Amino acid sequence: MSDTMDIADYLARGGRLTNPANVPTRYRAELMRMMASFVDSELAGAAGFADVINAGPGIKERIAAAKIVLEKTDNADKVLRLMGEFGANTARYANHHPWTDRLPRDTAPGRTRSAHDMRLSVLNYPLDGWVDAVVMNFCTGHAVAVQLADMVQVSYQPLAEALRDVAPVEAHHTELAEEGLARLMTQGESDAIAASLAYWQPRVAAIFGDPPAERLAQMKAWGLRHRTAEEMRTDWEARLAAGMERCGVPR
Amino acid sequence: MARFHQLAVTDVRKTIRDAVVVTLKPENGADFDFVQGQYLTFRRDFDGTEVRRSYSICAGLDDGVLQVGIKKVEGGAFSTWANEDLAPGMVLEAMEPMGSFHTPLEPEKAKSYLGFAGGSGVTPVLSILKTVLAREPNSHFTLVYANRGVNTIMFREELEDLKNLYMGRLTVIHILESDAQDIDLFTGRVDAEKCAALFTHWIDIDSVDTAFICGPEPMMLGIAAALKDHGLSEDQIKFELFASAQPGRLKRKEGAATGAKAAKATEATITMDGAARTFAMDKDQTILDAALENALDAPYACKAGVCSTCKCKVLEGEVEMVANHALEDYEVARGYVLSCQSFPVTDRVVVDYDQ
Repeated sequence: MSDTMDIADYLARGGRLTNPANVPTRYRAELMRMMASFVDSELAGAAGFADVINAGPGIKERIAAAKIVLEKTDNADKVLRLMGEFGANTARYANHHPWTDRLPRDTAPGRTRSAHDMRLSVLNYPLDGWVDAVVMNFCTGHAVAVQLADMVQVSYQPLAEALRDVAPVEAHHTELAEEGLARLMTQGESDAIAASLAYWQPRVAAIFGDPPAERLAQMKAWGLRHRTAEEMRTDWEARLAAGMERCGVPR
Repeated sequence: MARFHQLAVTDVRKTIRDAVVVTLKPENGADFDFVQGQYLTFRRDFDGTEVRRSYSICAGLDDGVLQVGIKKVEGGAFSTWANEDLAPGMVLEAMEPMGSFHTPLEPEKAKSYLGFAGGSGVTPVLSILKTVLAREPNSHFTLVYANRGVNTIMFREELEDLKNLYMGRLTVIHILESDAQDIDLFTGRVDAEKCAALFTHWIDIDSVDTAFICGPEPMMLGIAAALKDHGLSEDQIKFELFASAQPGRLKRKEGAATGAKAAKATEATITMDGAARTFAMDKDQTILDAALENALDAPYACKAGVCSTCKCKVLEGEVEMVANHALEDYEVARGYVLSCQSFPVTDRVVVDYDQ
């Protein structure tokens, strides 16, 4: 069985790459970008939530927020370790950027990433208290679920496997958000929730973006992307609507 | 972070005509504890060209040794050298074991594993089957092992010994491409069709907990398709693509720097995706920023010299890299730079993102 095939054909037919040695250069660049974006988002997300722990109105809420900080950092570590196999300096990476940095609260929704890291754009906006943090976690959590569903099919097997471990942990964070949201509704916070939803929905919607058509086609052919941003955003909107209904939040 | 360590070669043994098993001993106390199915990445300099190759560990966790199998590949510098010149007493450089071609060991469970190996793809599968048979006393392993002919079967005798040692728990099905066997089913290639036939008559696919596949690309695709057709889910199938797929390595570094002038502008030529673009850029701008400004879709992530996403190779001219936390010394020596940290020094620079 010495016969081989072109690596692009192999990938186009659903083949998997399994270690840094069999990854072609351009594929490597796209893969590194995906992994960096994931790690930066988890680290920035965890950093943002760390400040929220103290805003938790009760012990249960504080535990939930602390758990989210711990587990998002752990998720970042799972993927950062894979970047390390490609030569990234993992020890420095975790500290190279002030992950708590945010834009002013009134910055318009947009897709621009911070110039110095690759976090999802929504993580550039600051949280404003406990209710706001719960709503942000709720909106973003459902978006992350949709994006992870696409990413776990990635053709780089070690990343697919790491994300398969990450997905249920992230899903639980969204469950915590829904629990919190339902409780806040019973506590008469519906106006604050509505205001936060109006703030976060367009900002989360903006993270669904496609690269230029040619690059998207290439990424699909390599098995790094599967669905378009439009398909994923539609999916997210449906999930969000269902979640709001579960929590008793009027639309 | 991945670092290279020195390993002393303590034994080199031929398994078949063109494959060796190399036994290694880490020097300077480096941590080479491995998980079954992992691989080592070696590097060696061949006439000024750095070659890196990954080879799977073939030893089981309880063998008490670190061993890799290296099959000679036509035209392969490292594998040819390992097969012809490598001898005990020499020192190799390798990174610590890596890879996730394994599942957790659960001694209390009775699991059914199915392994597929093509040629030298057997090395990690051998490590896995030796380990699970020893550590999970109630588990079974079936190996479907594809080779050209009887004389190219690596570890043939060792597999026979293991069958006797683990009586009834290890099944080996040899599929030979060119040597006819008593049963037609065992002749030919292992593709989706062959798998379907095996699942009908020889392998109880419904009882399989995990399948491991290691071999060349077409074989992996065919087997994976057959496994999914027969109800296995993604997370039940583990892949390891073996060494033949490793892309070509570094070419020789071209002419070194010329004398720098104090001019402000540099003419930069940047190659990406096979196409080259030339434009003028400031000397106080990074190569990456200039590329992005000129609508080139250059890869980057951290912009802090940490992640190595923006790595490119300087083919002509000279740049100054102000920070580097990702590239190793030998990569820098070969002309690689982090473009997010590199400013042009000469009036002309040529860089390539494709190498």
